[in-house]
Formats: sequence, C-alpha cells, structure tokens
Amino acid sequence: MNVLKVSKWTIAAFVLPCVLLYVGLVFVPILVSVYSAMLDWNGIGASTFVRLDNFKYMLTSDTVFWPAVGRTFLLAGFSMLIQLPLALFVSILISRYVRKPNFLVSSYFLPVILSVVVIGQLWKTIYNPGSMGGMINQILETIGLESWTHSWLTEPKIAIFAIIVVGLWQYLGYHILIQFTGVQNIPADIYEAAKIDGADGFKADRYITLPMIIPIFKISVVLSFIGSLQSFDLIMVMTGGGPGNATDVIASHMYKMSILSQKFGYGSAIATFLVAVCLIATVIINFLFNRLDKKYT
Amino acid sequence: MANKTTKTLSVLMAGALAVGLTACGGNNGGNTGTNEGAAGGNGGDKGGEKATITFQNIYPDSSDPKYQMIRTIVANYEKDHPNVKIELDSLNTDQQKLKLKTQAASKEVPDITIVNPAAQMQPFVEADLFAPLNEMVEKNGLKDTFQEGILDYYTFDGNLYALPDGNNIGLVYYNKALFKQAGVEVPTTFEGMVEAAKTLKAAGITPIAIGEKDSWTGSFLFMNVLLRTNGPGFLQDVADGNKTFEDPAFAEAVDAFQSLVQAGAFQEGATSFDYNAGENLFKTGKAAMYYMGSWATGGIETSEVNKDDNIGVFKFPTVNGKGNPDEFMLAPGSAFAVSKHSKHLDVTLDFLNYFMQNYPIEAFKVKGAVGVAQTIEEDFAAAGYSNMAIQVLDLFKDVKGGDISFDNTMNPGTSQVHLTSIQNLFVSKKDAADVAKEHQKAFEENNK
Repeated sequence: MNVLKVSKWTIAAFVLPCVLLYVGLVFVPILVSVYSAMLDWNGIGASTFVRLDNFKYMLTSDTVFWPAVGRTFLLAGFSMLIQLPLALFVSILISRYVRKPNFLVSSYFLPVILSVVVIGQLWKTIYNPGSMGGMINQILETIGLESWTHSWLTEPKIAIFAIIVVGLWQYLGYHILIQFTGVQNIPADIYEAAKIDGADGFKADRYITLPMIIPIFKISVVLSFIGSLQSFDLIMVMTGGGPGNATDVIASHMYKMSILSQKFGYGSAIATFLVAVCLIATVIINFLFNRLDKKYT
Repeated sequence: MANKTTKTLSVLMAGALAVGLTACGGNNGGNTGTNEGAAGGNGGDKGGEKATITFQNIYPDSSDPKYQMIRTIVANYEKDHPNVKIELDSLNTDQQKLKLKTQAASKEVPDITIVNPAAQMQPFVEADLFAPLNEMVEKNGLKDTFQEGILDYYTFDGNLYALPDGNNIGLVYYNKALFKQAGVEVPTTFEGMVEAAKTLKAAGITPIAIGEKDSWTGSFLFMNVLLRTNGPGFLQDVADGNKTFEDPAFAEAVDAFQSLVQAGAFQEGATSFDYNAGENLFKTGKAAMYYMGSWATGGIETSEVNKDDNIGVFKFPTVNGKGNPDEFMLAPGSAFAVSKHSKHLDVTLDFLNYFMQNYPIEAFKVKGAVGVAQTIEEDFAAAGYSNMAIQVLDLFKDVKGGDISFDNTMNPGTSQVHLTSIQNLFVSKKDAADVAKEHQKAFEENNK
C-alpha cells in the first residue's frame, strides 16, 4: 500500500463513502429482509413474529418452491454448459480468423443493451402460433414440418426452454465480449514459441488458450450463475411465470408471494434463500477455480 | 497492444459490474420503492388557508375519456377555491397498486388514493389508513346519487371508506358479422356456447378472445360458470364454513369450464396474451366473442369493429340448465379513499364530495357513463351513445343480484392459488376433484 505514498487514514477516508453506500444499500436491506422473513406480515398492517415457520413451510410444504428452484438451476446449467463454451469457441475463432473483429463483437453484444421488455415482446411474437404471425411456426409450416409446431410459450413442458433460448441468445454476446478480450490478452509470443515447438491450431488452444483464459472464464461463470439465479424480468415479460406455475423461478415466486399474495414475510424468506444460494455458489465457484488456477500456473 | 487490451478489459469489467448491479437491483425493488413513496403524501404548508392535495388516480392514458374528465373537474374546483392546489399522481393500475402498498407500509398514503372493493381493501382498512366518509357522503345529497347497495362493498363495521367510480357486470360481447359468416346464433345455453365455439373454430374463426396472461380474466369467466351451477354466494358460504370447495357445484363448474377450453374456444396461446392484447383480438375483429366486465364497453364502442352496429351483447347463459341469466358477475369498481393522516382532511373531503357530484355529469359528456356507479337520468341515445351501449344499459336493468369476483371475496393468498389453478386449466386437462382439493388446501392454509 505504501506505493501510493499516502497514510492509511487518507485511504480510509476515500473509501468510506463507498463503504457506507454499500453497507446502507446492500447489507442493511439484506439484514432487514432476513428479519422480515421471520414475520407473518402482509406488508401493510400489523405483523407477528413466527420465528422460522416461513422457512419451514418453504422447505417442506410449498409445492411451487422446489420446482422453481429446479428451474432456476436449469437456467444456470444451460447458461454454463452451453452458452459459455459456445462463447469461448466463438471468441477463439474471431480472434484467429477475423481481422477487424470490433464490428462483429459489437454486433453480438447488441442484444445485451436492448431493454429486456423489448426483447421479451420481440420473442413473444416470434414464438406466437402461426395464425398470429409467429415466425418459428410459420417457417416450420412452410417447410412441411407442421407436426413440429408448438405453442411455445404456453405448453407447460416447453415454455421454460423457450425462455432459456432467449436468455442464452441475449447474453451470448456479453460473454463473447468478456472472453474475446481475454483471448486477445494472451501474449502473441507464447503462441510463436509454441509454433516452433510444433503446437499449432487447436493444439495450441488446448495447451495455451484454455489454461490462460481460466481467470477470465471464471468471471463469466460467476456472472452467468448469479445472473441466472436472479432471472426475473424476462420471465415476467414473456409468461408471467405461467401457464400455471410452469415457468416460475425463485425470483418470480418471491415477487408473487410478497406482492400478489401479500405475504411479505414469506416472500422475504424466499429472498433470504436466494441470497444464501448466491453466496454459497460464489464461494464454491471461487474455490474450484482457485484449484484449477493452481494446477495450471 | 497489451496496454490497449488491458484498458478494454477494465472498461469491460466496469460494464460487467454495472450490469451485475442492475441485476441485483431487481432484488431490492421493494425497498427502493419506499423512497419514491415519500414524494407523495407531503406538500402544502400548514400556515394560512393554502392547501395542496395529492390525488393518486388510475387515469394516465390521454386517449381515455376519463383522463380529460378528471382534469376538467379538478380545474373547475381550483377555480372556485384559489387557495387549493390539487396535484395529480396518475399511474396505470398495476403501478398504482404497487405504489400504494409501498406507501401504506410507511404510512405515507396520498390524500386521495384508489382501492379495490371488499377483500382487496380490507388489509388497508385493518391497518387503519383511511378516514371514514360517513358524514361527508351525507353532504349535498351525495349518498343518494349512488345506486342502491353499491356502497356496501366499501363499508366495514358500519363505516364507509371509499366511493366507487364504477359498477359493472360481466357479459359477452359478440361480433355479428363473424357469427353470420360461420352461421351461428346467439347461444342461450352454455352447451350452445360450446357448440357455437366448435362451429366458429371449424370456420377458421377464433371463437373467444381472452387475455389470460393476466389470470383474473379467466377467473372472472370461471366464476360466472360457478354462479350458474351453484347460484350466488358460493365463496361466502365457503368463508362462513357452510361449504367447501369440494362441493359438487364447484366440480361441475370446473368440468363445464374445461369443456369450453377443450372445444378450442380460446385463441391459441391464450395464456401468453395480456389483457390488452386479448381485448385487441376482439376489437380488431379477429375473434367472435369476448367475455368481460361492462367497463370494456367504452373501448369497444369507439373501435373499428363496432362500425354499423356490428357488436352485440348477451347475458352469460345457463349451465346444464342451471342458474338464472339475470344473476351477473358484479364488479363494483375501483374507488376513491381518503387518507386518515391527510394534513388537509377537511379540504380533501370537501373536494372529493365535489368530485363525485360532478363525476357522472362529466363522464356522461365524454361518453364514459356506461357502468358508472351513480344514477344518471339522461337520454343516452339522444347523446349519441351506440346501440351496443344502450343494450348494455338495458342489461343493467335486468340485474337480480349475483357474485363479485374471486379476488374481491377471498384474501390475496387464496386468490393467487385460485388464479394460477384456473390458468392451468387453459393448458392442461385436470381432474375436477384435484382442482377442488387445491383450492380447499389453499383456503385452509390462508385462513388459519
């Protein structure tokens, strides 16, 4: 710290506003919601302290909760197992074969900056039944695959996958951008040295790019995991968690319980669960990547 | 080169952080709302006669006749009372519900706000947020302008807490041209309606439009079926412990409702259409029938599809020969309530009295008077209302009681399970007994 040549007090003074903001806007609300989670409260009137009853009900009796948790992890799984490797693959291709990659990468990034509501409405139209102008179904009908047509967003078994596709599409560019920068950041002389030793093309990727991209890849993994856990807006816009509860995830279930069912205490219990999962997941991911890191450096 | 990429990377990370933070922000939605709420209730100084009143309302759409109407009345009042300033806080329905809940949590309710009848306003009343209007409503004979019995939905323990802007009934709108095209007649029984749906569908016409993403729409229709199979008062009987959801009348209603769904009566993908999108199918002539509260009359009346008297209405028919078509789904409207902690309680009450006196007069002028909760002794036909509107007004004269919607009768927890359960019927066939059990379980869990 001496490199900065200022006293620790100065550093503290400069860090303080940010710390205060962070504590006030993040930690205090989390603590408050942990407390509310132990109340039987409709959010308006009087409340009674019920200790851990809400958690007990959530974990044992709520028929919507566990499926919603399952769908949340399904989202995370698809994101990490399909989206991220695909993003890495695309970034390697771009950095190797494309001469002026900026335009391409920016185009991939475009959906990220669009409003989720716009994207949701757009894809709703794409998924519509053929008779309502749905693009996918019309294409299927034109090429003679009528039997493949579905009402994508309203068939309980398919709806969640239809939403996952949109999520993957939207954030693919985001991860490409992160990983592309990572790939670019690997010094070119390493590849040159490897070439002399006979490692070229995908062999070089296997032994140079992959190990060296790990720290950047970790950022992608954490972001995609936390992002999946918190997914809410896209689902509310496209299906509202329906039909029935077929596309409810943790966050949408929490919203419905707190606001629509007016069980603010119970909603807070779900929120607390979500925070806990986020924390635990981040710790696990960090741990795993640290081990990977050690193995390769 | 290396330097440049580091820079790109750091910019990127900042971006990543920003996106991450916005994502986290969703989590804290409930908390941040509180700050916004603080802007409401205050304003106006205590000294002198000057007063500023905040009037939260649900008329934000400038193409809605009520948008202009509320501004006219407010301007007239301000002209007569130069020291009173009325600030309008216009929000759409869902935003307003959310904002009021947040404001209520911090006891910052605006001077005048909007609530929904019966069970939906009960939590607010129990939290002691509203001023009783018993005395105010007697002034200038305001009480007598309201239709008989309508104020009961806003009265708790003998205290009146809100004044409604409407009183509506559930009915079926139909497109005459499409009926003719498919060769179907106006159905007089529910079974006839199912048959008509099949015929229409065979002719390539969407039989019934619905906006089932907003699940109350399907529930409203379902409750009308239940009103036929059971007669009025089913939910009240359940609440009083005289009946359970496992009553045969409930199962019969579920089965009848499913027969309609299975006949393909609703547009494909109905559960992804929100209220407006569903109504637009009907308004653009793409669907033959539309079941909705009579509040939809105004919008349909001015739409293209109502040219040449093309739209008619009929009463919801009997189900399995049961029920009385003169019993309707009743929809007492959203209502104006006054904050108990208002800084200018007297002025606010005086204004609301003035507002409600003028409400029917101004609404009539802008052709928004079908379904107003107050009696209007004017000639609608002479004022240029369409035949459909006159027909709706005639149906009002036939009303012999009925039921109010599920979420106005049961508490929010039970209602939410019910709404989801009915939405499910649109996408999968269920055993009526299971639907009944699901309802009963939710009712017991939420009424401990």
